[in-house]
Amino acid sequence: MSIVEREHGVAIAGGELPLILLPTNCPGCGIALEREKMRAQNYVCDCGHHFRLGADVWIPIVADEGTFQERWADVRSHDLLKWIVPKRYEAVVDELLAEGLNESVRTGTCTLDGRAIWLAAFDFGFVGGTLSIVAGERLARGMEQAASTHTPYVLVTASGGARMQEGVLALMQMAKVNAAVGALHAAGVPFFSVLTDPTFGGTAASLALLADINIAEPNAAIGFTGPRVIKQATYADLPPGFQSADFQLAHGQVDMVVPRTELRPLLAHLLELYS
Amino acid sequence: MSVSTPKSGDHSHPTKSSISRGPRSGTPVSVWEIVELARHPERPYALDYIRRLAPDFVELHGDRLSADDPAIVGGVGSWHGRTTMFIGHQKGRTLKERVARNWGMMHPEGYRKAIRLAKHAAKFGFPIVSLIDTPGAYPGAGAEERGIASAIAIAIMEWFRIPVPILAAVIGEGGSGGALGMGVADRVLMLENSIYSVASPEAAASIVWRDNTRKVEAAEQLQITSREIHAMGVVEEVIPEPKGSARADYDGAARALDEALQRNLQPLLVLPTEELLQRRYDRFRYIDSLVRAEPQFGPKID
Repeated sequence: MSIVEREHGVAIAGGELPLILLPTNCPGCGIALEREKMRAQNYVCDCGHHFRLGADVWIPIVADEGTFQERWADVRSHDLLKWIVPKRYEAVVDELLAEGLNESVRTGTCTLDGRAIWLAAFDFGFVGGTLSIVAGERLARGMEQAASTHTPYVLVTASGGARMQEGVLALMQMAKVNAAVGALHAAGVPFFSVLTDPTFGGTAASLALLADINIAEPNAAIGFTGPRVIKQATYADLPPGFQSADFQLAHGQVDMVVPRTELRPLLAHLLELYS
Repeated sequence: MSVSTPKSGDHSHPTKSSISRGPRSGTPVSVWEIVELARHPERPYALDYIRRLAPDFVELHGDRLSADDPAIVGGVGSWHGRTTMFIGHQKGRTLKERVARNWGMMHPEGYRKAIRLAKHAAKFGFPIVSLIDTPGAYPGAGAEERGIASAIAIAIMEWFRIPVPILAAVIGEGGSGGALGMGVADRVLMLENSIYSVASPEAAASIVWRDNTRKVEAAEQLQITSREIHAMGVVEEVIPEPKGSARADYDGAARALDEALQRNLQPLLVLPTEELLQRRYDRFRYIDSLVRAEPQFGPKID
């Protein structure tokens, strides 16, 4: 139990998390995984391995139980480029929606330890958590409302970058959301960003690293260009730990590296300090 | 000239849209031929235009933190009687210069330099002209170590607060976030044979097929030509190039760029600062408004 948790008595999750599919054995230490046990510790193995989570798990981790009011859930991506390779974009979106995912970003209002916040969570399961028009719109609208109501904004990222299937308009979402981030800062509203594995490309180069406090999860890969592309482009051998959370901490890009089991008490503490 | 927006439904299958017509020659030009024109080693670069627009141009250097990034040039010059800040990507002409300028791929220091020059322009009320011509930000380990992601992110956010008119023009390659980091402006124009893309065709092919040799197909699918970008409402205007493309007539291309930039600057000069910044915000905040106006074209937003 961390110091922050002891002092504040804040639970590590706001509500009961959904049971998710896990590998039989932990990729970190190899032990056989018990789903119920993993769920009770925010899907962090005893060895410290952090499993990737979707927005459906992140929301109950951060939000007090029953307080999350989702906004703009009823929008979907359409195929503006008539994208057909390797598969029709419309079909990809249809399948993901049928699986119960709802775009790469979900957002809404909730409370955290009783304090009102805006929450946005990326979902890596939806086309790699890519920044799309719908994602950009949900993010920008939420930030504008947080700015006008002076409500702290909490972001959880997991994204490969801008969504290719939406072409240059996906690229433009970086400018769209950064305009809104600027409005959030100008309004003096606290903005906390939680960077999870992986956060890359247009998402890293727009809102993800622009928070007042950037918090990375242990071992999360964070960067602009992915290691495969760097190796292709420069023939460089990348050292172990390149673009890890600790690497970004050492290079001044994040404020702290915090285990998922200590995140919520920390956020509660920060909300109190910045209220 | 400004290319008119096609009616909804005009967004044809990529194999059909792969043929677009050059305005002067009348011969079909494929998407890949446009990519090759945009990247042509004899194409005019930013300094070729800047020295024609402002022959008294004085180049300034450095980010005032640690370095000067030669992939981006900047400085002041007199343009139609008005001191103007020019900033542009500069690819090298010789191999030695290409290496020195890193083929126009900026490091983090480049974005910090650009914002430093933008704030300098703001102090004196100089308008800013940004000429975009980059394959993308530098995809190397050093750039990552020195915070390329946050350098681009901060630049994009800062451009929204620069209280002077900003004009941007894509003069060659508008590659990904590296280009957008220099592309937040009140008006964004594109030279006819330039491209603007979320990812380079090679990178897109590598992501889609794990095979970057399928770049031609990727280029057609991505819709990166000036006409396609204009049709999406992302740029205000396409600037026609001289016969044989910009590389055949540097002076003619510079005259066309000069005319379009000047014409687009005039309405910005009379705007109160607050309104200028609000319009810049709205320009990008609602950049997908064409998508919203025609729901079949993009996502439905309630």
